[in-house]
Amino acid sequence: MNRRTLLKRGLLGGVVLLLGGGTLALLPAKINGAPTEPLLALDAKAFNVLVAVAARIVTAKGSDPIAIAQGVDKVLSSAVLETRADINKLLGLFENALPGFLLDARLTPFTRLDPDGQERVLEAWRNSRLTVRRTGYQALRKLCLATWYANEASWGPIGYSPPSGLNAIAYPDSKMGTPEWIAEQKPSPG
Amino acid sequence: MTTLALVRSSPAVTDGSAQTADLELKTDVCIIGSGAGGAVTAAKLAAAGLEVLIVEEGGYYTSQDFTMREKDVAAKLYQEGMTRTTADAGIAILQGRAVGGTTVVNWTTSFRTPEDVVAHWKEKHNVGGFAHADLTPHYDAIERRLAIAKVEYATLNQNNKTLYDGCKKLDWAVDTLRRNVFACMQTGMCGLGCPVNAKRSMLVTLIPDAIDAGAKLMFRARADRFETEAGEIKRLKGTLLDADGKKPTGKSFTVTAKRFIVSGGAINSPALLLRSGLNDNGRVGLRTFLHPVVGSAGSYDFAIDPFRGAPQSAASHHFAHRKDDVGFFLEAAPWYPSVAAGAVPGFGKTHEDMMNGAGKQALHIAILIDGFHDDIPGGRVTLRPSGAPLLDYPILPKLWDTFRFAQKRLAEMQFASGAKTVSTLHDPTVMMTKLDEVAIDAAPWQVGRVPVFTAHQMGGCAMGDDAKTSVVRSEDLRHHTIKNLWVMDGSVFPTSLGVNPQESIYGLVGLMSSRFVAQK
Repeated sequence: MNRRTLLKRGLLGGVVLLLGGGTLALLPAKINGAPTEPLLALDAKAFNVLVAVAARIVTAKGSDPIAIAQGVDKVLSSAVLETRADINKLLGLFENALPGFLLDARLTPFTRLDPDGQERVLEAWRNSRLTVRRTGYQALRKLCLATWYANEASWGPIGYSPPSGLNAIAYPDSKMGTPEWIAEQKPSPG
Repeated sequence: MTTLALVRSSPAVTDGSAQTADLELKTDVCIIGSGAGGAVTAAKLAAAGLEVLIVEEGGYYTSQDFTMREKDVAAKLYQEGMTRTTADAGIAILQGRAVGGTTVVNWTTSFRTPEDVVAHWKEKHNVGGFAHADLTPHYDAIERRLAIAKVEYATLNQNNKTLYDGCKKLDWAVDTLRRNVFACMQTGMCGLGCPVNAKRSMLVTLIPDAIDAGAKLMFRARADRFETEAGEIKRLKGTLLDADGKKPTGKSFTVTAKRFIVSGGAINSPALLLRSGLNDNGRVGLRTFLHPVVGSAGSYDFAIDPFRGAPQSAASHHFAHRKDDVGFFLEAAPWYPSVAAGAVPGFGKTHEDMMNGAGKQALHIAILIDGFHDDIPGGRVTLRPSGAPLLDYPILPKLWDTFRFAQKRLAEMQFASGAKTVSTLHDPTVMMTKLDEVAIDAAPWQVGRVPVFTAHQMGGCAMGDDAKTSVVRSEDLRHHTIKNLWVMDGSVFPTSLGVNPQESIYGLVGLMSSRFVAQK
């Protein structure tokens, strides 16, 4: 890569998220699956791309990319408005042909790539010189993985088995542990 | 005696989400925030007979809501549902949002502010309003109330034992630490809300104390802005939120008070002042510090089970003082699968394999002590278009250099404690079978290539005696120019602390709320 190309890519960083909202699509998106519940933070197009991303990020047995995308949408419903908008744009970038062409010489939308091609896109984003692509990859990766591993179905292989039901034996009193509380616990004489 | 369930259902407590009309409230003192700063202040002022109203954006959850499942509690107990990051997404920010604030989800580590830190503040930041010795009785008092005590080596889980043993082998300073727990059941769930009330958070101690003493509390009430007249704050305007805290209900509230105390913590306190246009000297939001953290995963040939037992119970401050270089301290990290999955690098099979080895992995962290060097000015809080805070915290080359050095020391310590392999959390990871400093140096030390997080947010409304360079006075934490406004929380620290912050907030705010009462 020559210096001029580098410079162009550097300049592109400033507008790279804006491109996510662009409309150049030489091929329509492949539909991966519809949400099973009303979406809270993502738009339908972004959700569809996220399902494809989730299928590459989480490959563990029993994982369901639609359920993961639905879980990510729920997580994002607690995010500030600007974060939600950024994630929608980011998923547009993953899919969109224009930034794909400019940054990776790729014309095929992400959802239409085969699994190997999709992994190459993820790796290109991971290793990118543009901070926004690296952090964008990390954001989608973390959201998908955090959602899957919040699910009890993922815990068997990692040996995680948190306790259940301990709430029933919670200490009841706000003064617990204080000298006055300890004094009251002592059996009264006689 | 006050049972905790009765506190929440007390007539003194108002659920903002349940209101069907706008609220107009009056009080003598309005405290915004109910975490380490707000709860101590409220308890002290209410005990002195002052009329107090606490306004809290978060929900009022109790141990009965703490299911020990991340999917249930992340949105309930953390700012932005655990999606808060710095502006360039380089640092993930773990910060609480609930009645009790971050104390509900912290890992119980309790340190007094080191004496040399208070001395540094006096020398470099014109903090002349108190001496370290003035804090001592307030530490003593809070340590009694919160049952703060040093833990025994025998109670350490393997994640902490490996840290302790590795440091000892290398002859590095290390010790078990003090925790604010009583009769801890070792569930390991500190970060998800203690399910058994063993953790003496503000939720189960000083908030009930304040309410016992007559304070009122309104939750699901977001403070939007102050309205000022003639240089004084007249009222606080805010928005009532739905039961999940995600959306406004359409109802608002107004609090008219004689005095206002901001205790929203770092990031949120400066944001409230900025939304209110209270930034005459341009210092609000500046010098926000994070104790930025990098981690290291050591794999052992014996069980570590990092998810069992008290998550944090040993610390090494061996590298805390490095003169011209940034210091750091070492601790163990709690391990919850959802959070850990974000820190473990890669995706697909690579990621899955590393997760599946978790039972034999120790996760240790290096916590950088930022703010003590002229060329480490910290971050700056500004406002997003929606009014939510945005923290810009660039990771400067000097901090990257410290991360590199600290990553080597983490690996060295893990190998010394018997690790067979050590992996950095870079994406992709650097895996070592012996300390390989060249490989660590060559790793991609860039935003987005290595996870950095913060669990300690400090600064942004710095205290000091120079009205040009600070926001509040160090003698009483009152605003320099607005006579009925105080800031009492971790945002007043002019640097980071070099220790986990909760007890520093309790001690300083304990002292300053006593002075507030004395002036009433």
